[in-house]
Parts: sequence; C-alpha cells; structure tokens
Amino acid sequence: MKLSVFRPILCLAALLFFAAIPVSPAADEKAPVAAAGASDFNAKNTFRNICSFCHEDYGRKAGKGPQLMNNTNSDEYLFNRIKNGKAGRMAAFGGAFTDDQIRDMVKFIRSLRPDQEP
Amino acid sequence: MKLENRLTVKGVLFAAVTGVVWSATASADVTHESILKADPANWPTYHGSFKSWHYSALDQINSKNVKGLKEAWSHMPSRATRGLQSFPLAADGVLYYTSAYNQLYALDGATGAVLWIYKQKLDEDLVAKQTHSPYNRGVALGNGNVYMGTLDGKLVAVDMKTGKLNWETKLVDSKKLTVGFTGAPLFVKDKVIIGAQGGEWPGRGPIFGVEAKSGQLVWTFNTSGGNEGTPSDRRDTWGGDSWKTGGGGGWMAGAYDPETDTVWWGTANPAPLYDWAGPEWQTKGPRPGTNLYTTAVILLNPDTGELKNYHQELPHDAWDFDSSMGEFVFLERDGKKYVVHPNKGGHVFVYDRGGKVQNVYAGVDNINFVKGVDPKTGELIGRRDMVEGKHTNLCPAIAGGYSWNAGTYNPKTGLYYRVGYEWCMDLEIVKTTPVLEPMAQLNIGANFTMHGPGSDKAWGHVRARDPITGKVKWAMDFKNGIPHGSLLSTGGNLLFIPEADGHLSAVDASTGKVLWRHNNGNLHDGGIITYMAKGKQYVAVEVGKGSLVTDGYGDLWGEPYSSMPTDGGILKVFALD
Repeated sequence: MKLSVFRPILCLAALLFFAAIPVSPAADEKAPVAAAGASDFNAKNTFRNICSFCHEDYGRKAGKGPQLMNNTNSDEYLFNRIKNGKAGRMAAFGGAFTDDQIRDMVKFIRSLRPDQEP
Repeated sequence: MKLENRLTVKGVLFAAVTGVVWSATASADVTHESILKADPANWPTYHGSFKSWHYSALDQINSKNVKGLKEAWSHMPSRATRGLQSFPLAADGVLYYTSAYNQLYALDGATGAVLWIYKQKLDEDLVAKQTHSPYNRGVALGNGNVYMGTLDGKLVAVDMKTGKLNWETKLVDSKKLTVGFTGAPLFVKDKVIIGAQGGEWPGRGPIFGVEAKSGQLVWTFNTSGGNEGTPSDRRDTWGGDSWKTGGGGGWMAGAYDPETDTVWWGTANPAPLYDWAGPEWQTKGPRPGTNLYTTAVILLNPDTGELKNYHQELPHDAWDFDSSMGEFVFLERDGKKYVVHPNKGGHVFVYDRGGKVQNVYAGVDNINFVKGVDPKTGELIGRRDMVEGKHTNLCPAIAGGYSWNAGTYNPKTGLYYRVGYEWCMDLEIVKTTPVLEPMAQLNIGANFTMHGPGSDKAWGHVRARDPITGKVKWAMDFKNGIPHGSLLSTGGNLLFIPEADGHLSAVDASTGKVLWRHNNGNLHDGGIITYMAKGKQYVAVEVGKGSLVTDGYGDLWGEPYSSMPTDGGILKVFALD
C-alpha cells in the first residue's frame, strides 16, 4: 500500500488524530524581537540567554565551558575572548555585541559571588 | 617510488592550486538501488541502510575470533577541532569520512592510503561566530557524488572518484541565522535531503530536498509552522508571530521507507528552549500553542517535500527533548511492520508504517518532565511545565535521556541496543527576548546546573532490549563517563561499544559479555562502521572528544575527561591478522 494513495485521508486523520492538544494561541504575547544593539542591553539577561548554555549557574560553575567566577585572567583577556572567541571552544561574539556591551558582560562576570544571586 | 608516496607528492602540488588531493583510484557508484540492495560489504548511508539498523551481516569477525582483533591502520585528519563527530561511509573498498571545517577524505579501505582530500572553502569569519560548530556529522553517497552540508549553509556535491567539486548550492543564509549544516544528508532516489540546524536558534528550521544531479533546490519544508498555502500550514499552533522565530530544524539524517516511498525525519525543539508560561503554555508565554512541527516525527514525500503525516512526540516541547535522533528502525514482528524511534527525553516511540503510535516505553530510569506517555496514543501524561523562576531536579538533564549517537538493531538477536543517560539538573527559567540582529543568537531561556539523579553521580548504560515492548534482556552500566559514540552490531554476534574513557569494546550481542577491549586513547564522539575491502572485514571507528554533550564530562566526572584534548582526532581501523 502506498501512503500517497490515501494521502487526503491521512492528512485528515492527522489533523484529527495527531493534533493531540487543541490550541487557541493568544496574539497578545507576540514574541518580542531585539537587535543586539538595543539600548536596553542587560548583561545578566544576555548571559542567561546565550552564555549559560556552556557556563552553568551564571558562570559560577563549570559546564561545557569553564567556571567564570573568580577567573584569574585580566579584564582585557575576558573582553578579547568574548569578542574574538577561540576556535572550537567558544564562539566570537564581536559581530553580535558592541564593545561596550561586551565590557558590560565582563563587569557582570566580575560581580559573580558564590553566596549571592547575580 | 611507492604508490602512496607518488600520490602524496602529486597531491601536495595539486592541493596548492585547488585544495584537492587527487588520485586515479575509483570506486563504483552508489545508487538508490544499490542502497536498497544493502550489500553488507558496504556502508553506503549514515544509518547503514534505509532500515536504520546500524547493523552489518558481516561475520568474518565474530564472537569466537574477536580477541584477535588488531589495529590495521589509522588516519589523522587536520583541524579536528572538537574531536571527530562524523560518521564514516564505505563503498567498494573506499572509506569516506569528514572532520571539522568540512574536510572530506577518501581513503583506501584496506590500507588507509589517501585517495583524495576535499577541503571546503568556508566563510571562516562566520564559522568563528557559531557556537555549535565547526564539527560535521557525516555525508551521503549517491549518483557519483559525496554530499556534505557546510557550516556556512551550503550543500556540496564532491565527485566520489576524483574529489573535485561538482556543484554547490546555497540553502541557508548563515550570515543572518548564524547556523548552517552539521548533520549528514540522506540520498533517496534522485534527491539529497538535508535538515538545517535549528532548535534554540530563532529561525524556521527548514529541511531541503535537492536534485542530486544538478544541485537545484526542489522543495523546502519549514518545521516551524509548515509551509504557507499548503495543508501543512499550521502556523496557528504558534501564538502571534512566534512561528517566525520558532526554531525546529532537523539536524540529523532521517530514514526512508521504500515500501511507502516515505522519508521519515525527526525535528528539533522550538525556541526558546525553556518557556516561562508554565501550565498556561497554550495561551501564554513566548510561543503559545503546540508549536508544530517541532519535536515531531514527520513523514514526507521525497519527491515533493509534501507532508504525508506526522506525530508530535512532545507537543509544545518545554524541555529541549527534541526528536532529532535520525534513526527510524524499520522492522517486522509477527507479520506486523513497525518503526522504532528514540526521543531525546528518554522514551522510545514505536509506530506503524503510517506514523500511528503502537507503543511507547521509557528507555531510562530518571524521567520526571512527564509522569508518563500513553503507550496507545503517545499523549503526554502529567506534564511538568515550569513557570519563571527556580526549579530543581528536572530529569533528564538538557543533554537528554538519549543523545544523537545512534543505537543498533540486530536481526539475529532481535535486540535493540542503545546508550541511555541518567542525569538531572536544577534550572532557573527566565524570560528572554530573541536576538535576531545583526546575527541570530542562541535563545535558551534558562540558566541551569547539571548533576546526577538523587545523591548519585550521573551514570548511564547500554541496554539490550526488545525494540517493540522495551523489555530489557541485558544491560551494562557506566558509572564514570557514559559512551557517546554510536553503536554497531554485526552478524558475528558482536556489539561494538565505543566508550567514553577511550576503550572500544566488543561484547557478545546475545549476553553482553565483554570479549575484547582496546584503548584508543581518547573519548569516542562519532560513528563506527564495518565493511569489506579486498576480501577482508574491517571495523572503523572515529576517536576524538569535543561534542557539546561530552564537553561537560570533566565537570561531571573529573579525570580522565578533564584533561582529554578536544582539538584532535583519529580514525582507527581494525581487522584480524
């Protein structure tokens, strides 16, 4: 039996059978969209939206990437690593964020403490 | 001068001009019909055959003589950044595989002699900006070409015999979306099918059907919302315009059912990964609704890309447990035909050949993102939908109960073997705004910390089970690093397990008894195959740590993982004396 013969039936069946949960999505929660250069840049939000994929617990703990809290490298080193990345270990975010935004990220990393929420 | 040396000298001169090393050595063509024929001497497609068994009937190496298995040859690729995560293929004694930065190798399967090397000219500045990069997970063979998706959004066709580029087609605007292709394509009839990276990136997660001969794009299927103006259009399952940034995609090669002329493909999760709407996800949050066709199994017409059917394994996936595992194990039991598909959340879904759920069972012990899945309908029971704020002990962790490394089905034992992962995590769900300009960025939606279940360290297992009922026949536990290479089983009653600590093990496929072990010196993160060359059976396995799953092994278990290099890899090939 070829599925294509029964395609209309299957499509209908799919709509009836597989759409397990009826949906009435609200349009009032339209997903906001931001450019990286937006003036409301927030280092903490950016960190947990992007950086937390590799640096766990806001970077207070290692994960796929190293722990960032108490990092002994200089601010300049951190700035350059965020901006330029390192092949195979970390993406370069220089094209996504401005220098000022990256400096804000470095400040956020420097503010991390083990006993208080960032 | 030896042949190998002559080829090398010629290759260096040629490479200086074109980037391609060439020799006159050729292999026979791979066709749709030859893949259907499934000659065990070859491994012509990612999953071994269209049946996705990752099994070979070869039995020259078997449970009685495997203790005599030794390294025959090896090959070290350049720029093995993030190790080796691809999957070798073999046809008529020639082995093809890739390393990072879309470097493609054709080697003599008996000696390892380099036949040609193809190095894709990449937009390296773009690649440097990618987080899920620069690895490649494999290629497809067919119509005289080796097909490879590139990090910067192209599909290329390289001549199997000469290593010369025949065509390349730009499919994804990677400068805008940041991501491109890392997964293997699937060659079916006269088409090459490939899914883009997606998931946590705010795009529409397209899957493409491309003319194999010319490289012309024939069809596109958008996994985020389906295609406008067709019956697949389900943008109504996304609140507002959230379908525009819905994620999805299909980053692992799917499978093909010749009896129904249907491509089966697993799709990735929606974006953001985690959703602050909690139980009100149908009407609130960043992507209200079921979010079709993310975290789903879709059945496509290979000629047109038309959607024939689907089953969304996790409606409104709020846990990053996508359906991207590409293996769709086609098998028969008591006269009935099934398709077995693992989901990243740790469940195994069993379908009939039309896509209707026949059974669902848990493949791992630690699952609490749902209380269960109805085995008759596939409906989720007792969802754990999390609101903004902190949550503890979500199981499995983000890396999944199952990962993208393939399992294997052995028709002789009737058992399905797969690596399972027992780990959990604490997380803080956060409200996010997707960053789209100037380049799309990850859209995670949570801050998390992985740990073991309860007071245990994370652990895992290889379980051999009935693929339909899930009943376990035997199991092997791993307490200090869980295998992340794919599995291979053979007609010689062998199961090969590329382990995390560097050992490659061969075990009795019927009992799990370890028969042979060899230390390859680094973690396995890629594929393993067996094939014939010059009348002899070989086993080829990729060695080299660096996937986004095993990157966390040092933090979870310490040594030897903390000090394992992630910038090197090697292809090792074994045979009997």
